[in-house]
Amino acid sequence: MDIKYKVNRLATTNDIRPMVDKHWADLRTAKERGEKVAWASGPTFIIPYAMGMKSHFMAGYAAYCGGIGAADEVLKVAEATGELSESCSYHRLHMGMAEAIKQGIQINPAALLPMPDLMVSGRLCPEMSHYAEGLYRRMNVPVVAVELPIAYAKEDVPRVKAFVYRQFKEVIIPAFEKVCGKPFDYDHLSEILTVLKKAATIRNQCWEFFKDKPSRWTLWDYGVSIAPVFYLMGKPESVTYYEKLLKELQERREKGIPAIAPDGEKYRLYWDGWIPWAFLGKFMRKLIPNGAVCICGRYPWEFFMHPERLDPEHPLESFVDAFWGEDSPRCFSNKAPKGSLELISDLIEEYSLDGMIMFSSKSCRLWNLSQPDMMDVLYKRHGVPGVVIEADMVDASMISDSQIDTRLEALFETIDGIRKR
Amino acid sequence: MERVLSEITEVTSDPYAYVTGLKERTGKKVIGCFPMYVPEEIVHAAGLIPVVIWRGNESVTWGHAHVPPYDCGITRSFVDDAVRGKLNFMDGMVFHVRQCLQVGEFPLIIEKNVKPAYQKVLYLPPIYEGEAVRSFLLDDLESFKTSLEDFTGEKISDDSLKKSIEIYNENRSLLERVYEIRREKPGILKAREVMQIVWSSMLMLKEDHNELLKELIKDMEEKTVESKGDKARVILVGCLCQTLQFDILDMIEDLGMIVPDDDLYVGSRYFANKANLNGNPIEALADRYLTKTPLCPTKGVWDIHWGDEAIKKMRDNDAKGIISIRVKYCPPHTCYYPDFKSKMVEEGVPEVMIEMEHEIISLEGVKTRLQSFAETIGGV
Repeated sequence: MDIKYKVNRLATTNDIRPMVDKHWADLRTAKERGEKVAWASGPTFIIPYAMGMKSHFMAGYAAYCGGIGAADEVLKVAEATGELSESCSYHRLHMGMAEAIKQGIQINPAALLPMPDLMVSGRLCPEMSHYAEGLYRRMNVPVVAVELPIAYAKEDVPRVKAFVYRQFKEVIIPAFEKVCGKPFDYDHLSEILTVLKKAATIRNQCWEFFKDKPSRWTLWDYGVSIAPVFYLMGKPESVTYYEKLLKELQERREKGIPAIAPDGEKYRLYWDGWIPWAFLGKFMRKLIPNGAVCICGRYPWEFFMHPERLDPEHPLESFVDAFWGEDSPRCFSNKAPKGSLELISDLIEEYSLDGMIMFSSKSCRLWNLSQPDMMDVLYKRHGVPGVVIEADMVDASMISDSQIDTRLEALFETIDGIRKR
Repeated sequence: MERVLSEITEVTSDPYAYVTGLKERTGKKVIGCFPMYVPEEIVHAAGLIPVVIWRGNESVTWGHAHVPPYDCGITRSFVDDAVRGKLNFMDGMVFHVRQCLQVGEFPLIIEKNVKPAYQKVLYLPPIYEGEAVRSFLLDDLESFKTSLEDFTGEKISDDSLKKSIEIYNENRSLLERVYEIRREKPGILKAREVMQIVWSSMLMLKEDHNELLKELIKDMEEKTVESKGDKARVILVGCLCQTLQFDILDMIEDLGMIVPDDDLYVGSRYFANKANLNGNPIEALADRYLTKTPLCPTKGVWDIHWGDEAIKKMRDNDAKGIISIRVKYCPPHTCYYPDFKSKMVEEGVPEVMIEMEHEIISLEGVKTRLQSFAETIGGV
């Protein structure tokens, strides 16, 4: 008889939505309170936070829009105002939102943000700069732009890190000092880092529960739990959230409660690429009934993976070092394809994975080009099969249910076949 | 003219055979430089043959197993060529991985499937403010030079690098002259011939190409052409990284339009700006790269509008409109295009955008768009 799998929902994750809503509400109303507002891409939003500004960041806004079901209408505005559908959907979301404000087009008010006093364009991926350029050209939004490359080879790490540090110090910080009319607040940066370090350390302890067989939570639970290290960065509530989550996971372990009922997962999967923010429920409904649980992925593992490297005594240096540092190959260098392979290899072993889902975004060309070759290498190395799913993070027009169903079915059958050998 | 053009056609009709032959003839190693900004002069000064990697002439086959269909034409064609072994004559490859996300993914695929003896990643930053950018760029170029020295076992002296820059600058001057004559005598060369001339520069030894250009220029200067006063002049803009299908260029002319100038990568963008021969040659190459025009959407230049630049070129050439050639799935151009289009509308400049793919599905659709554009600007 078929097993009826069902998610055992974590109670703690219910705390997220109010916190996330508050973050965006505070941002929306910041100017009414006379506060300054920044927009950011790449891990640069800590700088406006340190200056006491409210800050958006690119992927966070996309996740939020997807989460509140506003992505479709914002993307429609983008298309109606000239954006081409093959460009990055995060780019289109921002252009659509800005055009809605400029032209007074009615959309979900929760998706509207105040235009920034300063936008920091951290060019982590080349496309992250394009929306900032567009906003500058169309709406004269003040922008400070920095290049944030990813090291492709170990010998390149020192010069790439030094380059990134110099730009934080010589370009971003002076620009915020000018906008705020005061010197950069290194003390507040240290305070933020102290709390962030604690929150990320506890978060990493939570990751350990993915190693349990059966797993105590799913990657989707973690997806919604990413918010505290971003939206609540430096706030005590971020630590409280992860302490509560850790406690609940510990209780699950003690009581033998798995992530999915009745007895835990049949398939433990790696998830590559972006989290499909607008379609978490859709994927959940496709995976869980098959007893499949996504456990980990290189993208959600890149945020402050090494909190021990954060040093509040040397806040800026250690913040840059945590991402671009010499012995931090599992952080940002994981975007360089070779570094990623090693990271995924480690994840497959550490988390005892059975298969891989390579989420290939049709509008974002980060990762998707080398996914087939990576699957090949990883299959040969670990005997773990994978499938590519072509979709998008937030654009519903790029999602095909039947394609996803067919490929997931193929993955499950392949894993079953390997188990029978 | 016919002799030179015939030689150029031969080079570009089968670049694989040509470059392989070149390698055999010279005994030198070949380094494939992925477009658009790898400084070929450093490769040349190392005693190697730099060639700009091209979009192939066949439909993608094995490449489908490595590249999603929503990547651009040269990406799919290049990977297809690479995994089929068609590029095995290349001893090395260089990728500017920060140009766009697609180039950033090549190193793993190439290392796994091709394993060239030499492979180098360049970071070449966008032209952002701050001294750190130039300093990082100089480090990057020095690292490139050192890696080539390690590969060949020979030091690259400043003098040899300057000599290479001189040869490249000469090529740029000669190509400029070809363009000048085309402006003076519209129709002296077909648009496809002009693209082939620039493309051949990317494939041939620059010394050889310079000699060809000198002969061509002499012939062009002597040749008289009938006035093309009745034809509507148009400027072609875009088509980053790759050649445009020659059929489309022919179609533009067959529809009664004439191309006096362009802003294409395999066109005027390739030879724009010379490197300064005075002083440190690495700095000269860095400064050339850091020149903001011709504006490129991969370089993060914000204080100049690409639309303004294109309109200026159009007016300087007494042209009536602009044809944007957008390579499908080219994110830098795709993200910039809405602003480019707005500028055209704002300035009342007739403009049409043609999407280009590696395998053209329907030339008829392109023809319809171009025909209606030609009628709009009064070219028919």
